[in-house]
Amino acid sequence: MKRAHIKIVLRTIGMVFLVVAPLAAQLKSPDDVKRGLTLLVQVSNDFKRQIGAKNFQRIPHEYMEYMEAADALRSTIKDEPSAFKAKVETRLKAAVAAYQTVSDMSSKMPDVDKLMAEHAKAVTAMNALFDLFPTDLRPDPNLPPPGRGGRRGGN
Amino acid sequence: MTRRTLLLGCISMPFAWLGCSSKPTPGQQVVDLSIASDGDLLVFKPDALTCPSGARVHLTFHHEGKFLSARHDWVLTYPDKLAALSQQLLDSCGDFAKNDPRIIAVTPLADKGGIVTTDFIAPAPGDYPFLCSTHPEDMRGVLHVTE
Repeated sequence: MKRAHIKIVLRTIGMVFLVVAPLAAQLKSPDDVKRGLTLLVQVSNDFKRQIGAKNFQRIPHEYMEYMEAADALRSTIKDEPSAFKAKVETRLKAAVAAYQTVSDMSSKMPDVDKLMAEHAKAVTAMNALFDLFPTDLRPDPNLPPPGRGGRRGGN
Repeated sequence: MTRRTLLLGCISMPFAWLGCSSKPTPGQQVVDLSIASDGDLLVFKPDALTCPSGARVHLTFHHEGKFLSARHDWVLTYPDKLAALSQQLLDSCGDFAKNDPRIIAVTPLADKGGIVTTDFIAPAPGDYPFLCSTHPEDMRGVLHVTE
């Protein structure tokens, strides 16, 4: 009886791995997905730079670009299973909403410290989105994309 | 405006145009360089170019982005001017004076999918940095000017 229980538990665990693992690990276009995620980080970093430079009038444009980057990511997963796309869409919408808050604040309350704090919340929302993807595809939100001839550096 | 003035203007215009267009002098090397953005990423592809000093360079920049509405260009500057120019571009959202002496050559801004060009005489031998005026911290590269 005990042996039967163990078999059931092992089968259940195996089934879970079979169903969940491919969602993340076997994306149809991993390189495109990686690029889509990198674009989100790229625009997020630009948000931060514009806040730091007090270019508040530029921030709504950054928000527009964030929405464009979100569309880019959507296009990279269009052939993935519906369940996965639904999960991504939920967290992507949350991230976009968080960056919209930063954008809205920039015109109403152009305060660098408050905007930076709100931007940090947006990055957290973006990280929650990244958690849905395999680790090797996730860009580090604390690093800018590889510019300057491939050089990487902190903010 | 008299008819004579108009006629003279029409006749002299092609000559004036020929005089202004800076054709390479005999013996001057002409070099075509091509560079692009890496899709929508803030990266020049390639990030290093080479040409001989004194050559007449025709550079083509292709903005290969597909999604983001960010505009890019290609700006060549001097090694010792890079830091100050980059900071100014960052502070001014990419604005700069057309006759800024720190700039050796610059293309117009390109929208996604756009192709822009610039012509210039390659400066003295050395390594000259180039960047994008709207993303001066990320989009950078080096033009190697040889003897």
